[in-house]
Amino acid sequence: MANPLDQFVIKTIVPITVGDVDASFTNSSLFMVIAVAAVTVFLTRTVRDRQLVPGRWQSIAELMYQFVGNMVRDNVGSSGKPYFPFIFSLFMFILMGNLLGMIPYSFTFTSHIAVTLGMALMVFIGTTVVAFAKHGVKFFGFFLPHGTPWYIAPVLVPIEVLSYFTRPVSLSLRLFANLTAGHTLLKVFAGFIFAMGLAGVVPLAASVALTGLEFLLAILQAYVFAVLSCIYLHDALHMH
Amino acid sequence: MAFACGAHMVAGLAVGAGIGYVLDRWLGTSPWLFVVFFFLGAAAGILNTYRTATGMGMALGYRPAEQGNEEGRPGATPAAGAEETKSQRGGNRGGQSA
Amino acid sequence: MPQFDPAVWSPQLVWLAITFVVMYLLMSRVALPRIGHILEERETRIARNLEKAESLKKQADEAVAAYEQRMADARARAQEALRQARDDAAEDAARRHAELSERLSERISAGEARIAEAEREAIASIRDIAIDVAAGAAQKLLGGRVDRKGVTAATDAALGEAG
Repeated sequence: MANPLDQFVIKTIVPITVGDVDASFTNSSLFMVIAVAAVTVFLTRTVRDRQLVPGRWQSIAELMYQFVGNMVRDNVGSSGKPYFPFIFSLFMFILMGNLLGMIPYSFTFTSHIAVTLGMALMVFIGTTVVAFAKHGVKFFGFFLPHGTPWYIAPVLVPIEVLSYFTRPVSLSLRLFANLTAGHTLLKVFAGFIFAMGLAGVVPLAASVALTGLEFLLAILQAYVFAVLSCIYLHDALHMH
Repeated sequence: MAFACGAHMVAGLAVGAGIGYVLDRWLGTSPWLFVVFFFLGAAAGILNTYRTATGMGMALGYRPAEQGNEEGRPGATPAAGAEETKSQRGGNRGGQSA
Repeated sequence: MPQFDPAVWSPQLVWLAITFVVMYLLMSRVALPRIGHILEERETRIARNLEKAESLKKQADEAVAAYEQRMADARARAQEALRQARDDAAEDAARRHAELSERLSERISAGEARIAEAEREAIASIRDIAIDVAAGAAQKLLGGRVDRKGVTAATDAALGEAG
C-alpha cells in the first residue's frame, strides 16, 4: 500500500533560486497558478454576456460575489468595504485550492502548513497594521479588557497577548489539519479497498461518504478562514 | 466545532511553548520560561476555546461591546442576533474578572 | 509528514506571495468590478422598471377615477331627467283629473237641477190632478157644488202632510 502521506510530497518542477532563497516552481506552485487561473477564468467568462437575467453560471459567479459581500458586511460592517477584494481573493483562493485537491492525483496546497500559515500571517500582520494605523497606541488597550481589577492584569495581559499571537496559528492550523486529516483518511480508506478484497465494499462505502464530507469540508474551511479574517478585521477597525 | 476548539488549544500550547523555548535559549533560563509560557499558552488556548464556546463564535473578541457596538459583527455567525451576543459578552466579561 | 520539512517552505511561501498578489490584482481590477457592475446595473434597471410601473399604475388609477366621475355624473343627470319627467306626468295627470272632476260636477249639478225641475213639475201636476180628483169625488159624493177654493186648500194640506 502506498504511503498515504505521499500525496503531500512537494516535487520540484523547475528549480529556481533567487539569491539564497529557494523559489523553485513545484507541484504546489503549479496548483496555486491553476487555482488563480481557474477562479479568474470562471469569474470573467461566466459574466462575459452580462445577461440581465443571469444564466446558471453567471448566477453562480454573482452568488459568490454576494456571498462574500454579505460576509464582509455582516462581520466587518460598512467600513470593511475596502477590504472586500482581499477577503474575496482569500476565500476564492482557498476554496479553489481545496476543491482542486479533490481531483484525483492532484495536489492540495492548502494542506501545507507553510501555505496556510503564510495566509494566516498575511491576515494577522495586515489586521495588526490596520489596527495600529487606526488606533495608534490605544491598540494596546486590546490586551486589557475593560473592568479588569488591577491585581489580575499582570496575569491576564500576558494571556491576552499570547491569545492574540495564537490567532494566526490556530487559523492556519485549522485549515491545515482539516485538509491533511481528510485527505490522509481518504487515502487510507482507498488503500483498504483493494487490500481487503471482497470485503473492500465497506471501505469503499466509507470513502464515498468521506468524499462527500470532504467536499463539504473544502467549502466550510474556506468559509471559516474568510469569516475569521473578517472578524479579526472587525476587531482591528472597531477595537473590541 | 470540536476541531475548532482543538485548533485553539493546540495553537495556544504551541505558541506558548515556542515563545518559552526561544526565550529560554536566549536568556539561558531553561527550563523555567518554557514552563511558564507553556501554562500561559494553555490558558490562552482555554480562553479562546471558552470564547468560542460562549457564543462569541469563532471570534477572539478582546473586549465586551460597551456602547451600542457601531455596526457589523452581530456575532460570529451572521444569523446571531445582536442582543444575544451583547448579553453573552457581558457574561463573558464577568467570567474573566472573576 | 512532508509538510514539516523546512526545505519546502520557502518555495511555497514565495509562490504563495506571487500567486496571491496576482489573484488579488485580477480580482480587484478585473473580476469584481465586472460582476459588481452587472449587479448594479440590474439593480438600477429593476428600480427604474418599478418606478415606471408605479407611474403607469398612477395613470391607470387616474383614468379609472375620471371614468367613475363621468359615470356618476351621467347617472345623476339621468336621475334628474327621470324625476323631471315623473313630476311633469304627475302634474299633467292632476290637472286633467281636476278638469274632469269639474266637468263631471257641472254635469251632476245640471242633472240635479233638471231632476228638481221635473220633481216640481210632477208635484205641481199631481196637485192639479189631486184637486180635480178630489173635487170630482166630492161632487159625486155630495152631489152639489163644491167650493173649488176649499178643495184646493184641503189638497195642499194633505200633500204637505204627505210630501
